[in-house]
Amino acid sequence: MKLPRFSRKTLCIPYAVFLIFFVIIPMCVILFYAFTDKNMHVSGTNFVRFFSDPTKLSTIVYSLVIALITTVICLVIAYPVALILAHSKIKKKFVILMLFVLPMWINFVLRVNAIRELFNLLSQINELEGLESANIFKTIFGMVYDFLPFMILPLYTTMMKIDTSLYEASADLGAGPVTTFFRITVPLSMPGVMSGVTMVFLPSMTNYVVSDMLGNAKVTIIGKFIYEYFGSDWHMGSMVAFVLLLVVFASTLFSGGFKSEENVRGTNL
Amino acid sequence: MKKRVFTIALAGAMLLPTLAALTGCGGEDVITLRVYNWEEYIDEGGEGTFIFDELHELDDDGKPALDETGNHIHIESDIVDDDYKEWYKETMGHDLSEEGPAILDDFCEWYEKTYHKKIRVEYSTFGTNEDMYNEIVLGNEYDLLCPSDYMIMKLAAEGRLEKYDESFFDETIPENYYVRNVSPFIAEKFANNGGLKLRKDPDGKDIYWKDYAAGYMWGTTGFVYNPEYVSEEELDELGWKVFTDSRFHGKITAKDNVRDTYFAALGVTYQDELLSLDPSADGYIERLTEIFNATDEDTIGEVEPVLLDIKDNIYSFETDTGKSDMVQGKIWLNYAWSGDAVYALDLAESGKSEDGEDEDSVLLNYYVPSAGSNLWFDGWVMPKGIMPEIKHAAQAFVNFLSIPQNAMRNSYYIGYTSVISGEFPEDDSDPAMLTYADYLYGVEEDEGEFYDLSYFFGAEDGTFGIYADEEQRTKRQLFAQFPTPEVIARSAVMDYYDEAASERINELWSRVKAESLEPWTIAVIVVAVVGVAAAILLLKFGNKIDFFRRKPKKGYERVKQEPVRYKTK
Repeated sequence: MKLPRFSRKTLCIPYAVFLIFFVIIPMCVILFYAFTDKNMHVSGTNFVRFFSDPTKLSTIVYSLVIALITTVICLVIAYPVALILAHSKIKKKFVILMLFVLPMWINFVLRVNAIRELFNLLSQINELEGLESANIFKTIFGMVYDFLPFMILPLYTTMMKIDTSLYEASADLGAGPVTTFFRITVPLSMPGVMSGVTMVFLPSMTNYVVSDMLGNAKVTIIGKFIYEYFGSDWHMGSMVAFVLLLVVFASTLFSGGFKSEENVRGTNL
Repeated sequence: MKKRVFTIALAGAMLLPTLAALTGCGGEDVITLRVYNWEEYIDEGGEGTFIFDELHELDDDGKPALDETGNHIHIESDIVDDDYKEWYKETMGHDLSEEGPAILDDFCEWYEKTYHKKIRVEYSTFGTNEDMYNEIVLGNEYDLLCPSDYMIMKLAAEGRLEKYDESFFDETIPENYYVRNVSPFIAEKFANNGGLKLRKDPDGKDIYWKDYAAGYMWGTTGFVYNPEYVSEEELDELGWKVFTDSRFHGKITAKDNVRDTYFAALGVTYQDELLSLDPSADGYIERLTEIFNATDEDTIGEVEPVLLDIKDNIYSFETDTGKSDMVQGKIWLNYAWSGDAVYALDLAESGKSEDGEDEDSVLLNYYVPSAGSNLWFDGWVMPKGIMPEIKHAAQAFVNFLSIPQNAMRNSYYIGYTSVISGEFPEDDSDPAMLTYADYLYGVEEDEGEFYDLSYFFGAEDGTFGIYADEEQRTKRQLFAQFPTPEVIARSAVMDYYDEAASERINELWSRVKAESLEPWTIAVIVVAVVGVAAAILLLKFGNKIDFFRRKPKKGYERVKQEPVRYKTK
């Protein structure tokens, strides 16, 4: 008996089905809801309402700023860590790497709760009483803590891949450590930076669990907005989700484009 | 060929168990009842259940007292008599004293014994009325749901609900526990829609709650407060305005849903007017209800700055954390539903955290603003077009929960107050729920004062009540579970927002919740972001527009270079 032979095309069918049902159709549903009104007539009122409503605009800008701050802090913390881990001759460095990544294996809500309790404890100290109401600080802290592994991992892997002979060559040609860092390490680690940024920036715009639990629900980011609209007005909720999709799309476009460029440059050097 | 047959047979054999699993329950005549209830809103058995047979005499420390031989001293209780115990054992197949059977299991036993049909309950839970609404609008099917008052109204007005059978209200049928045991006070509210204006269903007929819903739990909204930091006088003086009072800055919480917090903001805004109304005057309750359900533009305009003040003043908008924050002493005042308040009071008193860790025992109290508050109900409803057989089971489920002993179990387990009062006694005995309240909160006649609960049992004032100490009567669990007639008289029922109102309220809520940035801040940030984006784009296309490289001299041309690949070690 011969095993049935599958052509490549037939093997693709499950994936195609998956993509159609779980990506394309849901997207279309969002689009449909975003551009219809309560009576399911096509209308652009939601679109107009979104961009003429200062509340929604400021929320999206506000989330953008919070996400940007989170991303920058993550990058500033993660870059040296990844660099040290990739270059040092520490034995068992995977243990250290593991320690950074380990929190990722613990349930997300649990971690946020733990931070909440930690802040509770800290705010009992008199000098730190202000922590109680420092909602934005706590939110950003929680986001940085939660998303840091997503920044470290891609950075570490790209830095590990950098050919050491490049550093030797750089030294041979008389470049100091600073020059080497800026002309070799930084450009060659750009793909890692970009994927790290994407992985941190996007969730921190929408992850309202952190802002609800640590920001006492007084910090409202765009994800929470979408959630609340879906309690009552699906059309507006879809429109907010759609606008967010555009923002996400734009940022991916930039980072994606940047990545391929940097790859070429890196190998070109 | 043989091999292929074998393979197919094998595949078939592997599929069989799955098929069996799918149809297993249907093999015999089993009905499935899909119940959709609030989270933690039913006796689930295990720890925390009400144990009827273990009524111990308590010593001074509140621990079970021991006799000379070291055994617990049992006291006679009139909560359950021997008849009930016998009936229970016969029906459920185990003793009433056994700890832990979930009420759902008992229901299945009872249903089979009573109607000689097997039943299976598919029990699932929701977190908010809106989540539940979305689920059913999306077409998820349930047979029995437990929305709140305003949501029942909304569902009925949209024609999504099935009416209860007329036979459900027939008091002569022995299994009709609901109609015989429901509190007359609640029954009246269900008959007149709590004083709200009448709504019409899609067929143009008037909607009455009682046709569509059977009550489950009810209560008020108010504040859990820590008497160590907040005095009763202060609360009486400020009322709803505790939300905006600077003394409670960062020490009070509001709810993270627009309904309850908007209601509170209405209380803050119109407190003076509310206080000037005379509760005994004609049309008082109508006016109260009108004020607490106002959603017109002018009202929203007046309430918005108040809501912003509230946001500035409160510690958090919470959905679930208020109880533990209160027990930990992080906040002084927590805006809460009465059942949650009872839970918080019990928890703080027990000296345990929610996770069962030991903490200091704290006494908390419950307060309802004297200017007026919210009276709410949750009730069982059935979706339109339910199969008659399932409808019968659903109504039986409601009836089963309405057996007073079951109402006690649920009430004890979750902390909320059941709508069940027990049958009106023909002799001079007490209705079932009164004995329950007496068991939990009652003291000897000479130790306390009479707490009149006649309104709940539908009797003349002074007929039914329990003797309780002052604390219980004015601010502790008894007061939270069974509010005084004065509190009830000043409480308004919430209506649902129609479409236009809903939009206004949602816009208001998002304005309140969101950080409103100044236009110029938005402009600056947008310009900055666009600038960064442009810079990135420039870098990306830098090569093509040759921005960063020197142009080759005249007559020269840049050679296209193949990328050099290095071997890695």
